[in-house]
Amino acid sequence: MSENITRRSVLKNLAGIVGGILAAPAGGACKAAVKNVFASSPAPPGYDPTQHKWLMALDVNRCIGCGMCVQACIEENNVPESHYRTWIERYIITKPKAGSGQVRGETIVDSPEGGRKGFPEALVPKQDILKSFFVPKLCNLCENSPCTQVCPVGATFDAPDGAVLVDKNYCIGCGFCVQACPYGCRFFNPETHTADKCTLCYHRITRGLKPACVEICPSQARIFGDLKNPAPEDPLQRFIANNRVEALKRYLGTGPRVAYAGLDEEVR
Amino acid sequence: MPPLRKMPPQIIRLVLLTIGIVCVYFTARYFLTPPSFGQYGHYRGKALQEIAAREPYWAGRNTCDTCHGEIVQKLAKAEHKELSCETCHGVSKAHVENPEVKLPKLSYSLCVRCHEASPSRPKWLHQINVRNHYTGSVCTECHVPHQPNEVP
Repeated sequence: MSENITRRSVLKNLAGIVGGILAAPAGGACKAAVKNVFASSPAPPGYDPTQHKWLMALDVNRCIGCGMCVQACIEENNVPESHYRTWIERYIITKPKAGSGQVRGETIVDSPEGGRKGFPEALVPKQDILKSFFVPKLCNLCENSPCTQVCPVGATFDAPDGAVLVDKNYCIGCGFCVQACPYGCRFFNPETHTADKCTLCYHRITRGLKPACVEICPSQARIFGDLKNPAPEDPLQRFIANNRVEALKRYLGTGPRVAYAGLDEEVR
Repeated sequence: MPPLRKMPPQIIRLVLLTIGIVCVYFTARYFLTPPSFGQYGHYRGKALQEIAAREPYWAGRNTCDTCHGEIVQKLAKAEHKELSCETCHGVSKAHVENPEVKLPKLSYSLCVRCHEASPSRPKWLHQINVRNHYTGSVCTECHVPHQPNEVP
């Protein structure tokens, strides 16, 4: 038997198989099937992602912690229970102990249900609070996003218009990106079994609408705009010009783009 | 260089095998790569359109403006000018499709959600201690939500 199967005959057969695949008309059907699986449903026509660069900015001094944005996001994007694409954190910095010589006391951060129902009264008595404020969080739209770098199947990517998106048809749900994001902005969607995150309401911004959280925010704490096509008296340009802006965890080198005004050093 | 026939047979086999593997790789790649791959980068270009294909949920202030322009203009002059209609009135999709469908009646908890006093809230915001401020449950007895400075 070993005399019949020689290396030469195996190679010959292999070459035959390869040739067969190339020639077979079934190849065309296979290609069509792949095309079909990834056929797209109608999207807004005329949107060119290379002609836009979206950016969200957040004004910590304007956020009143009503949680409307979190609720709006959940309803807009069918975000599953107890997961959040955007959320609000309440920072409470207590007064330092008398005579300790410290600038500040303890920092307490909470975000009950992501803040979607607003915030209950703080457990820290009012007289012990040095300062307190709300910080809205969302995807930081990193320039060198670690979440896209770790994806083993290329299912997540930085779109040319600045959004970091997940291709649900390609995502295998391994969860590497969820761990890679230093801002905790990604989660595993138990319904689709894929990674999920803020898309900047991609289906809205491509239609000329604002993201749901920006639309619903009652206090102008969220500012959204297009860096490539600034509107006349663009709120984003005005915000950047009039505020000292900073990004979260810049030292990690992920190139976070989301601009924050009024950040305290305790905010991570 | 020796002619091909003079090359050692094991080398020729190796070369053939390598060519075979490369052929299999490119064939597989041709059939398995989605059509729009590489349109913008190392990902499926169509994915952008698929993600954008969903229908928006919140209609936005401009939609309300088409029928309720008068109210929107009035609001634009008052304290609450930055608010979107849907922030308070809720999603208006059903109402836009069929104007007979009325939006839900608003309760005082909505006012309190933003205006209840809290040490975490910024100082510029008008805040009240609801218990000291008012014992009823109809804020609109004294306040006009669209023109907060007016008295009804």
